Amino acid sequence: MTLSPVTTEIIRSALIQAAEDMNTTLIRSAYTPTIYEGKDCAVALLDREHRVLGQSSGLPIFLGNLEECSRRTEEEFGPRVWQPGDVWVLNDSYIGGTHLNDCTVYAPIFVSGALVGFAASRAHWIDMGSKDPGGSMDSTTIYQEGLRMGPTRIVAGGEECADVLRLIATNVRFPDVTLGDMRAQVACARMGVRRLGELFARFGPDTVEAARREIFAQTERLERQRVAEIPDGVYTATGHLDNDGITLDVPLEVTVRITVDGAHMTIDLTQCADQTTGPVNCGRSQAVSAARVGYKLLISPSVSLNGGSFAPLDVVVREGSMLGAREPAACQYYYSSLGMLIDLIVKALAPAMPDRAAAASYGDSMIVQFAGDNPRTGKPFVTLEATVGGWGAWRGGDGESALINNVNGSLCDLPIEVFESLYPARVTEYRIRQGSGGDGRWRGGDGVVREYVMEADQDLSLWWERSATPAWGLDGGRPGTPPRVVLNPGTEDAREMLKANSLRVRKGDVLRCESGGGGGFGDPAARDSGTAG
Amino acid sequence: MTYRVAMDIGGTFTDVVTFDSDARQVHAGKVLTTPDDLARGVFDALERFRLPFDDVSFFVHGTTQGLNALLERRGAKVLILTTRGIGDVHRIARGNRERLFDLHYRKPTPLVGPDAVVEVGGRLDADGREREPLDEDAVRRAARRARDEGFDAVAVCFLFAFRDGEHERRAGRILREELGPERLVVLSHEVAPEWREYERTSTTVMEAYTGPSVHRYLDRIEARFADKGLDVPVHVMQSSGGLVNAGFARRHPLQTLLSGPVGGTMGGVAVSRLLERPNVICIDMGGTSFDVSLVMDHEADVSPSGSCEGFPVLMPMVNLHTIGAGGGSLAYAEGTALRVGPESAGAVPGPACYGRGGTRATVTDANCVLGRVDAGSFAGGGMRLDPDAAHRAVEQLAGELDMDPVALASGICDVGNAKMAQAIRTLTVEHGREPGQFALLAFGGAGPMHAAFIAREIGITQVVVPRFPGAFSAWGMLESDVRRDFSMQFLATDRTLDTRALSAALKELRAQADEALTEQGIPEESRSVTHGVDMRYESQDYTLTVPILDTDEITGADYAEVLGRRFAEAHHKRYGHATPGAPVQFVALRTTGHGRVERADGAAGEPAEETAEPVVREVVFDGEALPTTVVARSALPVGARLAGPAVVHEETSTTVVPPEAELRVDEHKFLIITLAARPEMEDLA
Repeated sequence: MTLSPVTTEIIRSALIQAAEDMNTTLIRSAYTPTIYEGKDCAVALLDREHRVLGQSSGLPIFLGNLEECSRRTEEEFGPRVWQPGDVWVLNDSYIGGTHLNDCTVYAPIFVSGALVGFAASRAHWIDMGSKDPGGSMDSTTIYQEGLRMGPTRIVAGGEECADVLRLIATNVRFPDVTLGDMRAQVACARMGVRRLGELFARFGPDTVEAARREIFAQTERLERQRVAEIPDGVYTATGHLDNDGITLDVPLEVTVRITVDGAHMTIDLTQCADQTTGPVNCGRSQAVSAARVGYKLLISPSVSLNGGSFAPLDVVVREGSMLGAREPAACQYYYSSLGMLIDLIVKALAPAMPDRAAAASYGDSMIVQFAGDNPRTGKPFVTLEATVGGWGAWRGGDGESALINNVNGSLCDLPIEVFESLYPARVTEYRIRQGSGGDGRWRGGDGVVREYVMEADQDLSLWWERSATPAWGLDGGRPGTPPRVVLNPGTEDAREMLKANSLRVRKGDVLRCESGGGGGFGDPAARDSGTAG
Repeated sequence: MTYRVAMDIGGTFTDVVTFDSDARQVHAGKVLTTPDDLARGVFDALERFRLPFDDVSFFVHGTTQGLNALLERRGAKVLILTTRGIGDVHRIARGNRERLFDLHYRKPTPLVGPDAVVEVGGRLDADGREREPLDEDAVRRAARRARDEGFDAVAVCFLFAFRDGEHERRAGRILREELGPERLVVLSHEVAPEWREYERTSTTVMEAYTGPSVHRYLDRIEARFADKGLDVPVHVMQSSGGLVNAGFARRHPLQTLLSGPVGGTMGGVAVSRLLERPNVICIDMGGTSFDVSLVMDHEADVSPSGSCEGFPVLMPMVNLHTIGAGGGSLAYAEGTALRVGPESAGAVPGPACYGRGGTRATVTDANCVLGRVDAGSFAGGGMRLDPDAAHRAVEQLAGELDMDPVALASGICDVGNAKMAQAIRTLTVEHGREPGQFALLAFGGAGPMHAAFIAREIGITQVVVPRFPGAFSAWGMLESDVRRDFSMQFLATDRTLDTRALSAALKELRAQADEALTEQGIPEESRSVTHGVDMRYESQDYTLTVPILDTDEITGADYAEVLGRRFAEAHHKRYGHATPGAPVQFVALRTTGHGRVERADGAAGEPAEETAEPVVREVVFDGEALPTTVVARSALPVGARLAGPAVVHEETSTTVVPPEAELRVDEHKFLIITLAARPEMEDLA
């Protein structure tokens, strides 16, 4: 069956819209700021073969791996496991690739009794019952990181499975909001079920299938053409994570080796460090996703995602490495290596694509977390903040300052007025960290300074990275200033650190956090102060 | 004789609608906008329509003055005064990236540069208690700097000013002492008494940035009214969809930001009442953009906040969703795929059929090829179209895509319609509703041509084309009420709700609303005041506004439960789920004062117009050329009926009635198109 380009285009835009509708439903009804403010979530509409029909994401690194969940469920339980009105959840790091907080909720879609696809969403649940509230900075096995669920049915035939919900509720620290977020994901799945159902009812399965083939083929052709334009060759780049959070003096290698051969690209990640004791490991599927993000930034930034995306790309991951973790590796901070991986792909290919590339960004989420009992409410609390920083310059423009890192995207910082209203600490400074961007013909963006003063005793956790390999420059540009965190600066007790797990801090203590700048681009001597900006 | 006059001052044209209260007749027309001096254009229009100034009893207008200043970056030179330590908040702007895969991402350039920010000492805590006194000397130094360096306006935004505005008020007094009345001083807690320092700063800065030009404009227009002996208040449309007088608009200039387009939504509210259809989707399609807004339960969908040019604005705004889709949207091939928009041919060169040098196919060209646009009567005969150019443009693209040109023309319209249908869904999904429950109200130059097809796409069975669809926003302004909004932070949980405090707060808000309506000249019998409370589940962010009814027993022991149940119902309706029994929070009280003004429903009084004979011409529907009735709207009397296919043309617009649809002219002279329901939509509804 061949279709007119008109029908194909109508179905293509309907699929994109269906994913947007799912995303809207999820964000508007979520309970926790991590989802509605941080947009730490993604949705996908999949076909019967678990290929992406439409996707919407607040988080770039959730790109193209939600499908692992329904695929593995089917592999494990067989195709008859899918029943109308059922909804499932999964958060196993070795399947989904990320940490246990990222729970994927997915539902089969039936039209006239036939299975036609799946609706899935992934969202960060605020706490999974890990040994420390919210998540640990020093876990050494996944068993310390909380409730781990393989494919688990939470709704059967349209009815919530009360026993399973009870199991979840008794294993997490904030059951009300957690189940609230889960229900938002169920509503999101139902929106997907409805939208795909409407599309099948209107066009019929044969037409939708013909359109799907054509849409995938269009994307594949476009991407192959772009890859073919890159000169054949082998491109490599290497960087180092500071450490795994446990053994602080051992940096961890991240190396990308990219081979371009005609219309095909291979990203080989096998040279990366072995799986580590600390929680910087990720499942294979997440390393693949991150490699796809790097690829997309350069090859297809404005092409919408579907099952034809990444057809020219192979990603090779070594089982047992930090990027292909096996049980029982700890995975809480699975993304530190991925942010670097993305920057390294851009660096490796920069000589071949100088106009599309950019110097490195400040690099990681730079997490600050406070936990304890809030004297104002008499209740336990836990915060989770990512810190913005400087982005790399590129040929023709300065890098942006105070922008969220590359594994995140829609994440907004936490307003001081919201932070102080909810938690027992104050923010006394929030400014651009002047001059932290690398010099160059075009300058790297600056990081920020954020200073906290404790209003009560509490526990501080930090996960800051990229001091061993700060944001590099390109084409003669200088690197950005590395990050710096100091407890009680300017006093006798001043203590610099980038990682901490549940460190007790006292009322009146001051925590000063300075995020890194982005790398510069081009020789600083060539900077024209009148025009660059 | 007395006339009520409304004007919608757009970028190119100013639409004018007048209502003759004695003869009960409505007239509409267009004049060219005078961008150099919008106030002059207003008087040109009054003269052009030969309206005796003495007979004008009411005047309202929508102005793009503030919006233009923003769009063209021609606003005031603004100095920001803020709390020590947070001077870069305006530049950091929450730090998010709108485009996830853009390595070269830049934020919107801030309206105020980093050199024009002054930090001063003084700090409140989250409860509004003073932790550090205001450094008044620093404020005075900043004021002198503003004066010496020629700043036009100062935006003051201190942390937690929404909790206690005293520091800002004191800073304001010092600034005004030093700067005199000529320069604008804007205080954040007055503009937007809500938390989130970046959003509040952004709102305050935008008010300071657009304020002086709105002031100058209002001064000029009022001076001219006085010169000409025109003794009526100048009313302005606000972004919230309510009218206010010029005095209020001068104090709150930012509220006029979306002054023009919301007139259409308010017209939608009026139509929903006239037709007794509580839910209406309003679509305004012009050359480059497609605006959607909703009327639900006879009320405009007003959000407590919005954004403009990428900058957040914390003030009530009609929720307008805009996509790049219009008559000028370009169709093109990407490989073997067909794409339509969002890129537009704009006004120049415009669609190929305009004959101004455009060669690429647009949606209007596709309509032309299908025979839906009458080359002779386009724009009331004011513009000759070149159908051959349209055919050439469409044939060229058809060659690239290996398609039949007529099939491609249909396809271009279908793709465009599908995108517009999706834009509608985006908005309805946010409210947890499906479009099938709504009537579709179409206006703007291109709206009525596409409305029936868009309706069919999303399961809507009734389309309404109002009178003067090209000037509908102006008509909507004549149908709007005076509206003033008030809000107050009110933090409590269902366990801690103090119903006496709630009752007292509502009383205070009612008093404020009453005072405001008095100031707007609204007599007591024409006033109404409504209350709502923003609620959410504990630790949720987005709130829902739950109505507080006049009949509620607020001080009753179970009132928190009553509101809790109301909230759960609203939550379920909007999000499809609720958690009964989970702790809820109260966040803010919202009070709106409405002042009814005289309506302008005048169709009944108008004489029948001259009739012209309908002609039959071939128009393509679903790939087939069908004999189609083509008739001037003025030839259709009240009660007339036409079976599709049909085309109805008038000066500012063309309405297309597809086969299997029926058109009638109702008693208001609206065109009502009835479509058959689509079976698969019914199955799923």
